[in-house]
Amino acid sequence: MEPVDQEKYRQSLRKLESIFRSISDTASEVSSWRCPYKNVENRCTAKFGCRNQDRPSSTEELFLCLGSDDIDYRSAWETSN
Amino acid sequence: MPVTNEDLELELGYVNNPAEQQHIRALWDEADPLMQDISVSLIKGENNKVDQLTQAALEAGFTANTILDGGLIAGMAIVGVKFRDNLIFVPEVLVAARAMKAGMTHIEPILSASGIEPVGTVIMGTVKGDLHDIGKNLCIMMLRGAGFTVIDLGVDTSPEEFIEAVEENEAGVVGMSALLTTTMPNMGRTIDAFEEVEMRELVKIMVGGAPLSQEFADDMGADGYGKDAISCVELAKVFMSPDAEHSASPIG
Repeated sequence: MEPVDQEKYRQSLRKLESIFRSISDTASEVSSWRCPYKNVENRCTAKFGCRNQDRPSSTEELFLCLGSDDIDYRSAWETSN
Repeated sequence: MPVTNEDLELELGYVNNPAEQQHIRALWDEADPLMQDISVSLIKGENNKVDQLTQAALEAGFTANTILDGGLIAGMAIVGVKFRDNLIFVPEVLVAARAMKAGMTHIEPILSASGIEPVGTVIMGTVKGDLHDIGKNLCIMMLRGAGFTVIDLGVDTSPEEFIEAVEENEAGVVGMSALLTTTMPNMGRTIDAFEEVEMRELVKIMVGGAPLSQEFADDMGADGYGKDAISCVELAKVFMSPDAEHSASPIG
């Protein structure tokens, strides 16, 4: 196995860090108007309960999110474990 | 060599900015079809496929540098663009990051054999009673991207689990997350637990989460407070630097 070129690796890490920084900034911005647990198909990926979760017909499916992005989603999160 | 992967060509279509598209296309024009396959599998979040393709690429003689740049990072660049343009959201980004980790599992032993060790080991978990993990997961993604080994304890993590993980992995940094005001005190209880077993001096402890502040972090005796994933990485780097004493100064 050819060893890793350390300088190239450092450059790769810098590139990756820059991509992740941009992702982190976007996450902060997007979280101000859309629940971060809601995926692109409007399904809920949270491990906790939320009043916006709508039970699907199949148990294998994720809950559908009924939340409106116009209202602060945090108030719907259930806070007891 | 032009981009030959049809799925990847489709993904490139999401990049509206011509300069950006040209830049990303250039990454792939040079890349072997196998690297293009790795990229597209990462974008789709297919971690098993990324795992298999990375292993296959190494067996075929591709260097770790080539796979990292031409396959994994090139794919993650598209994920970043799609996220920025609201074509995907945080859960999809995290799935792609998990796929990247699957590929990195094969790269890490080669890094180690080449004398490149992880920057440090960080134990991350959401505290006892709290099930919110998005912020923690973004921090983990960023820490791994910065070259840290991260042990993810998940959610609802007891003080004992944090302590055990530090012992098992000889970790120098612990990161605790809480989203609820009701679970925030469990951060302080975890710090107390480290003191009780006389391990407090062995680790730097950073805390984060929406309801937290630097003041709260100071009050509970944490070494640092990160307001977001970027400051979490900055803190961890400070903690791992050779001249790091107790640096509790705010970052971010």
